[in-house]
Amino acid sequence: MELRELFRSRLENAEIVPDPSVNSKLMSKLARREFMMFNPGRFNVYYLGSILVAGIAAAIILSSGSDTSAIMTDDSLKTEDTVTSGIPVDTRQDTVAAQTIPNIVTDGNTRKAISKSITKTESSSEILKDQSVDNAEMTPLGHADVLPAVSKKDLIKKDLPDSDKLMNRDKGVEGLFVSSVSEGCVPLKVKFINMSGDFDSCRWIFGDGGSSFEKAPEWIFDVDGEYKIVLEIYSSGKLIASSSSLIKVYPRPVANFELNTKKAIIMNDEIHFINYSTDAVKYIWDFGDGSHSELFEPQHKYRKYGSYDIKLIAFTEYGCADSILIQNAFSSSEYFIDFPNAFIPNPNGPSGGIYSLKSDESAQVFHSVFSGVSEYQLKIFSKKAILIFESNDIYIGWDGYFKGQLSNSGVYIWKVRGKYRNGETFTKMGDVTLLKN
Amino acid sequence: MMSDKQIIEGCVRHDRKSQQELFDRYSRFLLGVCMRYSTDKAEAEDILQESLLKIYFNIKDFSGTGSFTGWLRKIAVNTAITHYHKNLKYRYHIDIDEYVSVETGITSFEEDFFTSDELYKVLNELPTGYRMVFNLYAVEGYKHKEIAEILNIDTNTSKSQYSRAKAVLRGKLEKLRTLRKNYTGEG
Repeated sequence: MELRELFRSRLENAEIVPDPSVNSKLMSKLARREFMMFNPGRFNVYYLGSILVAGIAAAIILSSGSDTSAIMTDDSLKTEDTVTSGIPVDTRQDTVAAQTIPNIVTDGNTRKAISKSITKTESSSEILKDQSVDNAEMTPLGHADVLPAVSKKDLIKKDLPDSDKLMNRDKGVEGLFVSSVSEGCVPLKVKFINMSGDFDSCRWIFGDGGSSFEKAPEWIFDVDGEYKIVLEIYSSGKLIASSSSLIKVYPRPVANFELNTKKAIIMNDEIHFINYSTDAVKYIWDFGDGSHSELFEPQHKYRKYGSYDIKLIAFTEYGCADSILIQNAFSSSEYFIDFPNAFIPNPNGPSGGIYSLKSDESAQVFHSVFSGVSEYQLKIFSKKAILIFESNDIYIGWDGYFKGQLSNSGVYIWKVRGKYRNGETFTKMGDVTLLKN
Repeated sequence: MMSDKQIIEGCVRHDRKSQQELFDRYSRFLLGVCMRYSTDKAEAEDILQESLLKIYFNIKDFSGTGSFTGWLRKIAVNTAITHYHKNLKYRYHIDIDEYVSVETGITSFEEDFFTSDELYKVLNELPTGYRMVFNLYAVEGYKHKEIAEILNIDTNTSKSQYSRAKAVLRGKLEKLRTLRKNYTGEG
C-alpha cells in the first residue's frame, strides 16, 4: 500500500494510554474553570457544602454559649459549662468592633458601576471598548439559588440575657450571611443575604467605605482588591453578633492594539498586529474573516477584499477580560494609489516622465502604483513651495527635471488628488527624496 | 454501563461522573490523535488536556447527528492546529516555495510491517510544518487548498511540504526496516 494509506489505516484510530497524572491534572483544571465560569448548577454544591459546614460550626459555637430556651438561669449557666466541655470555642476577635454602639452611618447604600465605554471615531473606523465579555467570565447573581436548604434561622438565639450578649459580642460567628459570589472580576456585583434569625436591625460594612442596613443588599465593587465584609446584628440597639467574609475582586486587563498599516492594503499583504494590552496573559484575536489567533502579536493575511472588524480579547490569569473592537480597520480595497519615498532620476536628460512598469526607466521616474484610479492630478513642489511638476495623466510621472535641468537632490513634496472608479475621491500628500547616483 | 448519549447529557450538565466516564472511554483514542501532531508524548498530553477541556465546555454544541468519535476527533485536530499556531513564533519556520518531488526510500508498504509505535516515532521526528501538512492531508483527508487556509500558508507550500514529508518518512521507514533486518536477520 502507499505511504499515505499506511499511516491513515494504522494511526487513524490508534490508541495511546495517557500518563496517570493527566486525569487528575485535567480534573482539577476542569474544576477550576467551571468555578470561574460560575456555573449555577455546580456553584450551588460548593456553597451548600460550605454553608453546611459553617452552619454546623456556628451551631456548635452557639450551643456552647447558650441553650435554646429564652430564659437563662444560674442553673442553666452551669449546665452550659458541662455542655461546653470538650467542644472548642471560637474566640475569634477580628469581626467585632468595640463594645459600644457604633455610629449609624447614613450614606446611600447603592452605587452604580461607572460606565467605561469609550467611543472614538477615527477617519473611517471606529474603536469600541467594552468592559465585559460574555463568554469569558460571568458574575450572575444567585438570588434564590443561593439560599441553602438548611434553615439557620435558629442560629441566633432570641432575647439573650446580658451575660451571653457580652460573650457573643466577642466572638465572630461565621455563616450568618451568604453572598452570591466570593470572587470575580471588576466591577463585581454581589448580593448579600443576612441568614440570621430575628433581629431588630443589621448593618453591613462592605470594606470599601460603603455600608447598608438592608437585609439583603446588593453591592457593586468597582475597584479591584480584597474586601472584608462585616455583618453586624443588633437587638434593642445593642450589637449581639457579627460575622465576616472576604470578597476578592480581580482587576481586568486593558486590551489595545494597532495595525502596522492603516492604508488600503493589497490582498495577501501580511498585516502585523501590535499588541498594546496591559496586565493580560492570554489573547484571542478575531480577524473578522473567520480566522482567529491566540498569539501575542500575530500576523495575518486577508484573502479577500472587504471591510473587516477586528477584535482583540485580553485575559488576566484569573480569566477577567477586556476587549477592543476596531470596525472597518482598514479598507482592504481594490482601489488604491501609493507613491515611493525616493527615486534616482536618469542623469542623462529628461525622459518626459512616461514610464511603464516593465521598462528600466520606471525606476528613474517618480510615479505611483495604483489600481482603479479614474481621475488624477499630481503636483510636486520644492521645499520652497515652488511648483516643479504637474500631471493629470497617471502614466506620466516626474523624471526629476525642471525646465530641462536635473533638480537638486533633496526632499520634495508631492500632492495628489483624484477619484477612484467607484467615485470615491482621494487626496494624499507626502515627500519624496531625489537621490543622485 | 453508561451509553454515549448518557455520557453526553451528563457532561452538558457538568456532571463529574459523566466527565470522568468520557475520559475513561475516549482519552486513549484522543491521545492517539494528539500524538500524531506532536514531538513527544508530553506535548501530546498537553494538547489532549486542552482538547478535553474544549470538549467538556462545548459538548452542548454536539448536535447528536453524526459520529461522536468524529466530533471528538475534530476537536482534537483543531486543538492541535491552534497549538501549532500558538507555538509558531518560537519555531524557525521554513517555507519551501518550489514543488519538490523526491522519490527515495520505500514506495510500497505492507500494512503490518511497522508497528504503530514506529509510525508515531517517525512522525514525531518530522519538522513541525511537515508533520502538520502530512497529518492533515494523509490522515485527516483535507485538500491542499484547505490546508493552506488552516495553516495560513500557500497551497503550493502545502503541496511541497507534503511531498517533502513523504520523502523524509520514507527514508526513515527504510532505515527502520534495514535496522530490523540487520537485527533480526529476517529478509
